[in-house]
Amino acid sequence: MNPILIPALDAAGLPGPPWLFHVLLVFTFFLHLVFMNLTLGGTLLAVIAHLKSGGRRDDYRGVLSGRLMAINNYGISLTITTGVAPLLFIQLIYQQYFYTATILLAPIWLGMLVLLTVGYYAAYLYKFRGAPARGQGGGLWLIVSALMFLLIAMIHVAVNLVHAQPEIWGSLADGSWSVLTDPTYWPRLLHFVLAGIGFSALVAAWWAVRRAGEGTDIDTNTAIARWAWRWALWTTVLQVVDGFLLLMVLPRPVLRGIMTGGVATLGPLTLGILLGIGLLMMLSRVANPVDKPGLVTGTLATMTLVIAIMSITRHQVRALYLEPATAQFQVQVVPQWGNFVLFAVLLAAGLATIAFMVYRVLASPASGADAA
Amino acid sequence: MDYPIWELALGGGMLMAIVAIPHVIVAHFAVGGGLLIAVTETLAVKRNDPALRELARRSSLVLILVSTVFGAISGVGIWVVAGLISPGAISALIHTYVWGWAMEWVFFILEIVAALVYYTTWDKISKGAHLLVGWLYFVGAYMSLVIINGIITFMLTPGRWLETQAFWDGFFNPTYLPSTLLRTGIVILMATAFMVFPALKTVADRRGDVLRYLGWWLLGGVVLSFAGYRWWEAALPDTVLNLFRGASPALASLATTRSFTLWALTATLIIGVLILIAAPRLARGATAVLLAVSAFAFFGGYERLREGSRKPFLIHSHLFSNGLLVSEIPAINENGVLARSGWAARGSDDPVAVGRRVFVTECSSCHTLDGYQSIRQVLPTYSELAAVAGADAAGGMVFGSECAACHSDMSFADMREVLPSPDEMAEDPEMIHDLNHGMIFATVAQLHEMGEAYAAAPRGEMINTAEFYTPYMPPFVGNDAELEALVEYLVTLTRDDETQIALKGGDR
Repeated sequence: MNPILIPALDAAGLPGPPWLFHVLLVFTFFLHLVFMNLTLGGTLLAVIAHLKSGGRRDDYRGVLSGRLMAINNYGISLTITTGVAPLLFIQLIYQQYFYTATILLAPIWLGMLVLLTVGYYAAYLYKFRGAPARGQGGGLWLIVSALMFLLIAMIHVAVNLVHAQPEIWGSLADGSWSVLTDPTYWPRLLHFVLAGIGFSALVAAWWAVRRAGEGTDIDTNTAIARWAWRWALWTTVLQVVDGFLLLMVLPRPVLRGIMTGGVATLGPLTLGILLGIGLLMMLSRVANPVDKPGLVTGTLATMTLVIAIMSITRHQVRALYLEPATAQFQVQVVPQWGNFVLFAVLLAAGLATIAFMVYRVLASPASGADAA
Repeated sequence: MDYPIWELALGGGMLMAIVAIPHVIVAHFAVGGGLLIAVTETLAVKRNDPALRELARRSSLVLILVSTVFGAISGVGIWVVAGLISPGAISALIHTYVWGWAMEWVFFILEIVAALVYYTTWDKISKGAHLLVGWLYFVGAYMSLVIINGIITFMLTPGRWLETQAFWDGFFNPTYLPSTLLRTGIVILMATAFMVFPALKTVADRRGDVLRYLGWWLLGGVVLSFAGYRWWEAALPDTVLNLFRGASPALASLATTRSFTLWALTATLIIGVLILIAAPRLARGATAVLLAVSAFAFFGGYERLREGSRKPFLIHSHLFSNGLLVSEIPAINENGVLARSGWAARGSDDPVAVGRRVFVTECSSCHTLDGYQSIRQVLPTYSELAAVAGADAAGGMVFGSECAACHSDMSFADMREVLPSPDEMAEDPEMIHDLNHGMIFATVAQLHEMGEAYAAAPRGEMINTAEFYTPYMPPFVGNDAELEALVEYLVTLTRDDETQIALKGGDR
């Protein structure tokens, strides 16, 4: 490593203790991941369902595809919105590494904005010009959208690997593309893609089970739930395999750091693995999810919990990657506790307002002249 | 200054403009649209007016497709671009105002969720519930503006923050309230400009009413904008105001921008009153475009004025636009910029190569080689000197466009007397090289001295840049060897092989 390539810490200091920003980074990144899984995995699953249906809305997989993309009209917006906060906090606590990585990958990092715009509008074009509006077609828009989101995932994985490894900055600046040959790159990417598809499949299954339980389109919803459930099962099988592979190809010091980190690192990792295996058991026990709505809800809740725990492990892996670099710097803290409290109050009030708004909307169905 | 530099032919400033200009227009529309749509739907419900309801409904589709998609992506885009072109500067801002941005994020979530719910629940929920969503959207959007405006105005007029470094001293800075009023006017103007398009689709017998309704909004937006603008100007410290006001403004181009901005607002008023209030039958797609262009021109002019009058700072009197802190000038002058940045130090020790890295580190946030704010274009070239030394009219033009800015105390004739004759140049082309070297050295040395003046300026106060050699440029910082290296590099950019060949009588 060439230590002098690491920029200095910001002279202004941190406006709060580092642990607070680490907690906020992990928490908001988890929120982002929930919607990101729906955006990336949901769109990929929608493509698969669309292709399997022959692009027709009268096939249950066509219905599923339209349903996933209807969720994504919200999901993509919320992925961006929830992504703002982790982007803010990573710039605060990992500024030296994050900015350097994005500059070294500047064209593709900037290109992400174009990919995101194209992917988002393609999703809307599918909605307005494809099967959801016309009963068939729109597969091209869907594929374009999924491809854009997949490329964005690739860019994010690359930036994350580069920012965590200052020792490769010099060679990257000299024009090397060593990040793509990093042994963890593809398993890491696959880990996100599989999680996205698995989570979206479970959400789709959960939704279909609820609709079937209400007596709405029972045959279609049962078929959707079974199909999506199988996708959740097999992607989770692959995810467990890929997770172990990723663990094995981590750099030795990082792996050693996890294994010798005591409860702090081994706790979340072990819990995540155990819950992952538990997920597999729950998924494999059910042939027809409509028969076991409670188990379906429990499985979805478990997967959400696994995502939350894995967000912690991911953060710890980053910290271990960066430990040789961060150890050289002494962070200065200039706390602004009053502002933190104001933020926390506003966050609670904001979320309560959103909950109230959603409650009012759900409690106020109307039609005809009574409707807005 | 210690980050790697992304060398972009287009120029970082231009890239930021490409992302930021559409974003601010859309973002202000998102706020103003929230207000107008909520009020319009409220009136539609109270008066049972289907034409107004249709206006609110159509406008909400534009709002969702433009604001929540493009607005959100381009908003993130500003951060992405800022991190690429000015990482040190954006980092300094985030370290100071992270809690401000975090609070703004809360309102941003409310805004986006409410927008999505609002658009998708037309015809599906009760009128009261729908109105609630619309008004919550506006609250979220406007509060975003109220918070971000504190950070933006802080950058130009940090006020007591320079002394106390306290969050709220910077937030409630001298231009905060005027700017909030001004931006409130602007959001109404942007919303009106956008909503004229859906209003044109109103049924024929109500179109005039709906357009007139928007006309009164436009009038209100103009009044608030003008009042806010004049208040903003009145609140600016003299150190900033003198750059573009008074008998001899320090930055003539900014004075022109000010004039343009106010004329654009006048044009918006005239066009708006004519096609919306006085004679709505004249309203067409083309006139709506004209109205939108004039409103955007006013807004763009103001933003240019605000950004331009902040130069050369990102945070006035504290942090320069290239990431240099005023407080670190003495240390960098003492130890050198290469000792400050590992990325600048990386490479050959050849003076020209060192000079190039110094240029990239200190100057490339504003100057490209040949694109926007081209450095090559502002340097004196062989051919330009030869032209000025010649006796024809072209020399006078070259003098006027290329030399007069720095040599304002000299006439063309004076300059020709100082310069060697064309024959002497032809005999010894290296003479021009020496001349260029001397002129560039003198300029960089003055920029270096300017740094010392910045460092000596009283801390905790606004620095009066109008007193300096170049009020819009950061100083040169570095040790003597780096200054020489930068000059050596810049001189290589003045070489014009074709001219040398011509001066040598075509002998290759």
